[in-house]
Amino acid sequence: MRRGRLGATVAEILVWQVALSVLWLVLISTVDPLELFVGLGCALVGAVAAVAARRAVSGR
Amino acid sequence: MNAWLVCASLLLVAGLLPVVWGTARGPLGHRVVAQNCGTSVVCLVMLLLAQGYERPAYTDLALVLAVLGPVGTLVFARLLSGELDEEPRWGRAVTALTVAATAPVVIASCAATGPGRAAVKVVFIGVLLAAGNVIASRTLSGAHRNPTETRYD
Repeated sequence: MRRGRLGATVAEILVWQVALSVLWLVLISTVDPLELFVGLGCALVGAVAAVAARRAVSGR
Repeated sequence: MNAWLVCASLLLVAGLLPVVWGTARGPLGHRVVAQNCGTSVVCLVMLLLAQGYERPAYTDLALVLAVLGPVGTLVFARLLSGELDEEPRWGRAVTALTVAATAPVVIASCAATGPGRAAVKVVFIGVLLAAGNVIASRTLSGAHRNPTETRYD
């Protein structure tokens, strides 16, 4: 049960990270590997914040 | 002065004069709707200026305004929930007008930039602006109904 919940959280973070990375790549001016790396990092931070915010709102 | 700059000037004058009039007079809900409309007008003007001056950086200003404008209105709606005593009269009409003005500006900008990431960015800004306006308008038209609910949280 607990393991399934961890898996769901990791999957949620990954989905957020992919979505936010795509958004980052659309919004920047030039795409290069460094930008991609920075974007993936920022998207991960944003993804964790989004999951935490959703948990806080739903009160779980 | 090209056609983009003419359109931007016209939108600035035709949009911001009613906004100044609306924010200066009338009930509180009316003024909040007017300031929300003001940020939307400036956002669209920035999109037009980005094309007119051929400076893509201005699109980023439009993006920032499209995010912060409706969010600022939501903050107003939350903080003024006890004082917004009546539904804003022209709220829905103003929102419909803003969304209707967003569409041609976004389509024209997309046509000018051509297919690519820049066009997707402009479409994203347009969708963000339109959705933000609709959400802010709905919140404002409902804010006067539940001040007691928020008060007893």
